[in-house]
Amino acid sequence: MSEHLRIENLSVEFDGFKAVDNLNLSVDKGELRCLIGPNGAGKTTTLDLICGKTRSSKGSIQYRGREIANEPEYLIARAGIGRKFQVPSVFRQLTVRENLEVAYCRHVGVFANVVRSGHSPESDGLEKLADFVGLSGYLDEPAEHLSHGQTQWLEIALLLAQDSELILLDEPTAGMTHQETRKTAEICNRLKGKHTIIVVEHDMGFVREIGEVISVMHQGTVLAEGTVEEISRDERVKEVYLGSVGIDDA
Amino acid sequence: MFEIFRNMTASRRQTLVQVLTYMLFCAAILIFPLFLDNDFLLNRYARYLVLGMVTMALSLSWGYAGILNLGQALSFGLGSYAMAMALKLRTVPVHTGAGGLPDFMVWNNVEKLPWFWEPFYSLGLAILAGIFVPVILAVVLGWFMFRGRITGVFVAIITLANLVVVNLLIIDQQRFTGGFNGITDLAQLEFFGFEFDAYSKSTYYLVAISLSLCLFGALALTKSKAGLILQAIRDHEERVRFFGYDVAVYQIMAMSVSAAIAGIAGMLYTVVMEFASPTFLSVPLSLSIVVWCAVGGRQSLLGATIGAIVVAGMQGALSESEAFLDTWMLIMGAIFVLVVLFLPNGLAGLIDMLARKAFGRGRHRKSDGPASDIIPTETAKSP
Amino acid sequence: MDFLLENIITGLSIGSILLLIALGLAIIYGTMGVINMAHGEFVMLGAYATWAMNAFLGVGFLASLIVVFLGVACLGYLVERGVIRFLYRRPLDTILATWGVGVMLQQIVRLIAGGELRYVEMPPALSGTVSVLGITVSGYRVFVFLFVLALFAATWYLMYRTAFGTKLRAVVQNREIASCFGINSSRIYSLTFAYGAGLAGLAGALVAPLKSVSPEMGTTYVVDAFFVVVLGGVQSIFGTVASAFVLGEATGMLAFLWNDTIAKALVLLGIMILIRFRPQGLFTSKARR
Repeated sequence: MSEHLRIENLSVEFDGFKAVDNLNLSVDKGELRCLIGPNGAGKTTTLDLICGKTRSSKGSIQYRGREIANEPEYLIARAGIGRKFQVPSVFRQLTVRENLEVAYCRHVGVFANVVRSGHSPESDGLEKLADFVGLSGYLDEPAEHLSHGQTQWLEIALLLAQDSELILLDEPTAGMTHQETRKTAEICNRLKGKHTIIVVEHDMGFVREIGEVISVMHQGTVLAEGTVEEISRDERVKEVYLGSVGIDDA
Repeated sequence: MFEIFRNMTASRRQTLVQVLTYMLFCAAILIFPLFLDNDFLLNRYARYLVLGMVTMALSLSWGYAGILNLGQALSFGLGSYAMAMALKLRTVPVHTGAGGLPDFMVWNNVEKLPWFWEPFYSLGLAILAGIFVPVILAVVLGWFMFRGRITGVFVAIITLANLVVVNLLIIDQQRFTGGFNGITDLAQLEFFGFEFDAYSKSTYYLVAISLSLCLFGALALTKSKAGLILQAIRDHEERVRFFGYDVAVYQIMAMSVSAAIAGIAGMLYTVVMEFASPTFLSVPLSLSIVVWCAVGGRQSLLGATIGAIVVAGMQGALSESEAFLDTWMLIMGAIFVLVVLFLPNGLAGLIDMLARKAFGRGRHRKSDGPASDIIPTETAKSP
Repeated sequence: MDFLLENIITGLSIGSILLLIALGLAIIYGTMGVINMAHGEFVMLGAYATWAMNAFLGVGFLASLIVVFLGVACLGYLVERGVIRFLYRRPLDTILATWGVGVMLQQIVRLIAGGELRYVEMPPALSGTVSVLGITVSGYRVFVFLFVLALFAATWYLMYRTAFGTKLRAVVQNREIASCFGINSSRIYSLTFAYGAGLAGLAGALVAPLKSVSPEMGTTYVVDAFFVVVLGGVQSIFGTVASAFVLGEATGMLAFLWNDTIAKALVLLGIMILIRFRPQGLFTSKARR
């Protein structure tokens, strides 16, 4: 397998506080990587740095051999990186169908889109997608009418419509029921291989279900890396989780 | 017929209803002169239609793209000056002799026509200027703001300040712009042998047809994928970037299209009013446009147009008596406050809500049920 | 050298009036995030109230200041209760709603007092001139300058040294949490708005003897004051002071070099550029994430 994303010596500082500190991470193509770690370990910030939401202070992020650190978000997205946020962020006044149309972003230029209808011929595919996440009955409903759980599913559908090569998921199962979590895991497993996925997650059950390689973050850097078994045996990992629930019972 | 209608998806059905409503409005303003044989009133209504047009342009940038442009009157005023300059130059041979200067320049001891007046000898160039000067300014200002990710209130302040700057400059450069008085005493617009007397059916039709074309042009834009992306930007600007769209370019596009329509409206305003004045690009007019847009419905092009026509029309009808006008402004202020508080989408939003209550209640609530049995019923329940 | 000093003093005088008008706006915008377009009308009402008390009741200028402050503050309280409190979740709409309120106030005054210009007499004790560093300055302008500084000190004390100020700052930081600790946040907001409005009324009373009083007088003030606030930075009343005097000096100097109109245009242009590059204001430190 070839290397898809490579992060070297990445650091970012907020008013003297180092949220990410000399981080090194390498993810192969088609891999599903879980990022875990205690609160404040810098997991979300790492995703922010990859997708361009936050500017790094130093270090490099290479995506398919191309340096993308500190590029504008839209160029990073065009290069093939998609992101799901922790707080569901959909377009509340647009209908579910319109949300999907926006996410279906094969053409991003403004002039091309002025002459293109808002209802693309691909909308059949988008309807299937809505069906897949259980929102087919809500296609013409504004997204603000959806419940919290449905909004989460809409966001996942948006990611699927965007069809990025590298997908960054920030706590995809937050607020989901047990069954919904299992379905999310199923989706992740289906996507892996074709897409490269990085998941930030707290729910260890979910991580077990999907995880191949896990990177444990602590104080802005990678503390340990390995399979679920290796990680749960690691003494240092136990130590940083000490006082919190503990990795086995989570 | 009804079968087809019923089999359409809800969004297509909605679009069809919308297009029909817009067509009905355009037909109404086009056949209106058949029932009115009063050139004075026709001129007045033409004026309201022009104001409707510039308000519609604001709805495009504010309602659809979330750009509250408090300087909307700038594009309008520049268009109006472009037309006035061209029409003024046509009066030169009559007023001050061939090769002379516009009369106000003579009064201000200007000796040579300034360079930026030269192109306005040609009506075609003047019309191009009336559209593209506002567009270029909008692109420059848009680039200036949106590349720096300026949003919300700050957009409102910058556009407002920009309007005031240009307004002050025009008033200050009296020698070249006519200052406070503006450019008055104009020739009549002539186009391929057609004469557009401000007090005639021809001018009314010119305005009504331009408004209809711009209305449908703008509607088409909002129905395009770009229109959808603009609405997405209005809802959640940041998220749009992560789909690979360059948000600033879309915002600049919305502002420029809006500026172009406002520029056209400004040119028509000069034809209807027979002068151009700094009040056409003043803060009070600009804020009035915002008010009309909000009352009519900022997220509806037609709503904004009608909002301007109705509000400006009532104001005009009452303006004969000063006491009436003052009372009316008071009532207007109150109505405006109430609309902002209770009808964020204006009259169009109210009508939309009533129509929804009358017809479609529950229709779109029919769920096909969850696609897969692992989705718990909780999520499939209506929200 | 003298003309330079003269210009600096003119600038200070312009700045003190700007600060006077902007202070109330700064508090309302800085703490509640409400852009109060009716602020100019509060100023106008203050000016009219002073005029009316002087013309009809014969109340002295200084005595009327207290009445004006309380009266306009009450009006501000009503406006907050009746309109603003519904719009805390829609900040852009407060521009529109308060503008509507402003139009209403303007029309009410026009209907009651008429549209013609009114004049307020300067208090005789202050109408003389004083000499500052060899420059002759109107005594009233010096009085305004000192009064503004005193008002600013009082406002600072209120915000940072009283229980009310502490509660207010807590509400500004996080309304929900503050409410959970038993702070009546909606009452705090109402009182803050009332205080800001009262300051605007005072500003109107103080500028009345310098300028003519008319129903439209507020419109020009609100725009200027708003630029002062934005330039100073939203959450810093010291920033407001600095920016008022910077703008005052800049306007004074540029007007001396060209003319009033060009000076105003250049100042606005400068403000546009500053907002573009420092939307958080000139005098605040980098915003926290």
